Amino acid sequence: MALVKDNPKVITSSKTSSSMATEKPEPKRPLIRVADFDFYYGEKQALFDINMDMKENEVTAFIGPSGCGKSTLLRCINRMNDLVEVARIGRGKIEVNGADIYDPRVDTIELRKRVGMVFQKSNPFPKSIYENVIYGLRIQGINKKSVLDEAVERCLKGAALWDEVRDRLDTSGLSLSGGQQQRLCIARALAVEPDILLMDEPCSALDPVATAKVEELIHSLKKEYTIVIVTHNMQQAARVSDKTAFFYLGKLIEMAKTDEIFMSPKNEQTEAYISGRFG
Amino acid sequence: MAKESKSGRYDLHSRRRRVLGLDKGQALKGLFGGNALVSVIVLALITFFLFKEGAGFFGQYRHDIELYRKSGLEYVEIMKKETDSFSELNRYLNSIRGEHASVLKERGLSFAEAKAELSSYEDFIYNFEDLGYPLREYVLEMNEVAIGARNMFVEASNYREHRENLLALGRDEEAAEVEVLDVDLSVFVEMIKEGEPDFLALNDKVAVGIIRLTDDLPTIGIEKLDDKMQRFKELALMFVSEMDGYETRLAEWDPQEPVGMGSAFASFVFGKDWVTNSSIQDWYGILPLFTGSLLVASIAMVIAIPLGVGAAIYINQVATPAEQNFIKPYIEFISAIPSVVIGFFGIAVFGEFVRQASGWAIFSGLDAFPISERLTAFTAGCLLALMAIPTIFTLAEDAINNVPKSFKEASLAMGATRLQTTMRIIVPTSLSGIISAILLGFGRVIGETMVVLLCAGNRIEIPDFTDGLATFFEPVHTMTGIIAQELGEVVNGSIHYRALFMVGMVLFLLSLLINYLAQKIVLKYQVSRG
Ligand SMILES: Nc1ncnc2c1ncn2[C@@H]1O[C@H](COP(=O)(O)OP(=O)(O)OP(=O)(O)O)[C@@H](O)[C@H]1O
Ligand SMILES: [Mg+2]
Repeated sequence: MALVKDNPKVITSSKTSSSMATEKPEPKRPLIRVADFDFYYGEKQALFDINMDMKENEVTAFIGPSGCGKSTLLRCINRMNDLVEVARIGRGKIEVNGADIYDPRVDTIELRKRVGMVFQKSNPFPKSIYENVIYGLRIQGINKKSVLDEAVERCLKGAALWDEVRDRLDTSGLSLSGGQQQRLCIARALAVEPDILLMDEPCSALDPVATAKVEELIHSLKKEYTIVIVTHNMQQAARVSDKTAFFYLGKLIEMAKTDEIFMSPKNEQTEAYISGRFG
Repeated sequence: MAKESKSGRYDLHSRRRRVLGLDKGQALKGLFGGNALVSVIVLALITFFLFKEGAGFFGQYRHDIELYRKSGLEYVEIMKKETDSFSELNRYLNSIRGEHASVLKERGLSFAEAKAELSSYEDFIYNFEDLGYPLREYVLEMNEVAIGARNMFVEASNYREHRENLLALGRDEEAAEVEVLDVDLSVFVEMIKEGEPDFLALNDKVAVGIIRLTDDLPTIGIEKLDDKMQRFKELALMFVSEMDGYETRLAEWDPQEPVGMGSAFASFVFGKDWVTNSSIQDWYGILPLFTGSLLVASIAMVIAIPLGVGAAIYINQVATPAEQNFIKPYIEFISAIPSVVIGFFGIAVFGEFVRQASGWAIFSGLDAFPISERLTAFTAGCLLALMAIPTIFTLAEDAINNVPKSFKEASLAMGATRLQTTMRIIVPTSLSGIISAILLGFGRVIGETMVVLLCAGNRIEIPDFTDGLATFFEPVHTMTGIIAQELGEVVNGSIHYRALFMVGMVLFLLSLLINYLAQKIVLKYQVSRG
């Protein structure tokens, strides 16, 4: 199950998080490393020379004005940009747990099993809640009822949704409210037991109560997952993240501990953005 | 609009220009509303016209069937069935001899030798044939009587009608000149009925003869053929035992038994014969046409569904833009080929190709092959598939395209492969759209006329579904084909004309049903999404 098929030193199975834990040499090493990264949509350059590390079990928030490339960078981390016809990398690389994910030998399927994603607009499948959660297991050929039942309960509990839906697992995932749908999508992403969760504005369509629930959830997920979250909400970034990265016009302007960024930003543009003077 | 002083009241009255008391918005509304109304009216008129022209059918048909009964034709038909089955026995017997002859030829016997072999049981065959002659003569004679009676009656009523028309026009002298015979059908029926004892006596003779002859069955000396001879004996004795049945039916037959609308209806819907311009009796049973249409359409769908849906999935999910730009217009272009051209291609090229291909060695294991017909249900079905594919493809591709992109992204982000995403998310989500695409393709196929008329072989007979594979290689006729073929030559207002309209009605209802189902399914799909 190696990410790179014939390269033994890159990340191995994440199937069992316990075995994973023993493999981790020391906590807080960079799990995601972006180095000198340029990215283009056709002729248009969307990312300029990005350099950043995201550490294990940390929450990193991407902030910045609309169109500055937050989503683009996020989608590069699990290669969802492969779906975009014109997308291409200009320079640099992204490493996940030491493996260059744009190595031609990389199997994107394996990568995406380890780097899960939650989208801005909740997108549960038109299937039952139960089937939604275990979709990732089904496609791996896991059909054993006991395993699936266990996964459904674990993931729905993990996504703080279990108590609300435990009696109606057979109803359509689309019958849930917006906030519940988004948590269902998170539960679905958890089922494949990724190491990293990418979240692109997961709360932008939710009301304050649902947002609070998701934020709480992010907080508790931090113990087991490395999370990258894109948000337009400064308070949210301040509440949930350990590190914050500010982007502007495709460039990473500043990245630091969240407290530092919000208390004493080094860069003028960052300061202007945070204080709401532009963007 | 001039700005009034703030203190004054607002003047909100419309200042739009009006034509015929309508402003622009109302005029546009009227225009589009009018267009919709015209379409609705035209549709209603078509429906009404179909109903009106077809409606008289059952009354006329009932009348025809009644005449068939009253004139004794029905009675004669029962006897004829019996003689037909006797002829069947004769044919079976002769086929044994034919087979024997070819066996002898294979063994290299000379003509004279073979003839000598065969003649050993020639007498048996002739004697058997002779048994049936008196019976057949008798039935023919009675048939003449019944047909004569029926024709006289029809002629007389035509004259009567003519006279009444003249009277209605006030041309009394001319009307007086028209002679109208009073034809009493019961006299003729009496005549036919009187012969019943004769017929029974003939029957007895035949029965006795068969038993006597088959008691002393000739042996041929070839096991396979002797088995057949035994089988012949069984069949012959079965025929004897069935004679009683014919006799009771004759005895129970009652010329005065009324013919209800129900039996006219049943005779149309479940009738196995479509016989027109017959000197004896016309039958308008839709079953052979209906099954023919269905068979051809089924063949077409079996071919078109996998190809159309498969192509749609491929184009939408797998193909590169370059492939899309080539394949999509190409498939859609097929639907631009006039159906008569496709039919022509079927006659000129494809039918012959299928026949030749059926002779290829790889098919030699199949009983049905090689086939002898060029124009068959299969030929027409293949060509219709060609016409259904663009419909199915386009609609199915639309349905697949309507699956939100976010589903696909979500699936891929979970580490699903393209194929898994397609089969587990895309296809199930668009399934109802795909099904309605298939239904509409079916509707297209069922309603197609030119291709079936040219390529289906046009034999009016219910396909023999017990034939296995060979069923698909029989010529058939279809509902659309028969209308196109016969409507041009029928007399306006005649029963045949109305029967064709009824066939049209059935087609119309079928299309309605298909469209209704397709809509139902799409509706259900939308509900499950929301
Ligand atoms: N599929 C695409 N094809 C071409 N250009 C794209 C595509 N997606 C994004 N872009 C461009 O790349 C730039 C960065 O877009 P991106 O979506 O990453 O911004 P963002 O920071 O996520 O903005 P927002 O906060 O509004 O979501 C934008 O200028 C956008 O127009
Ligand atoms: Mg974005």
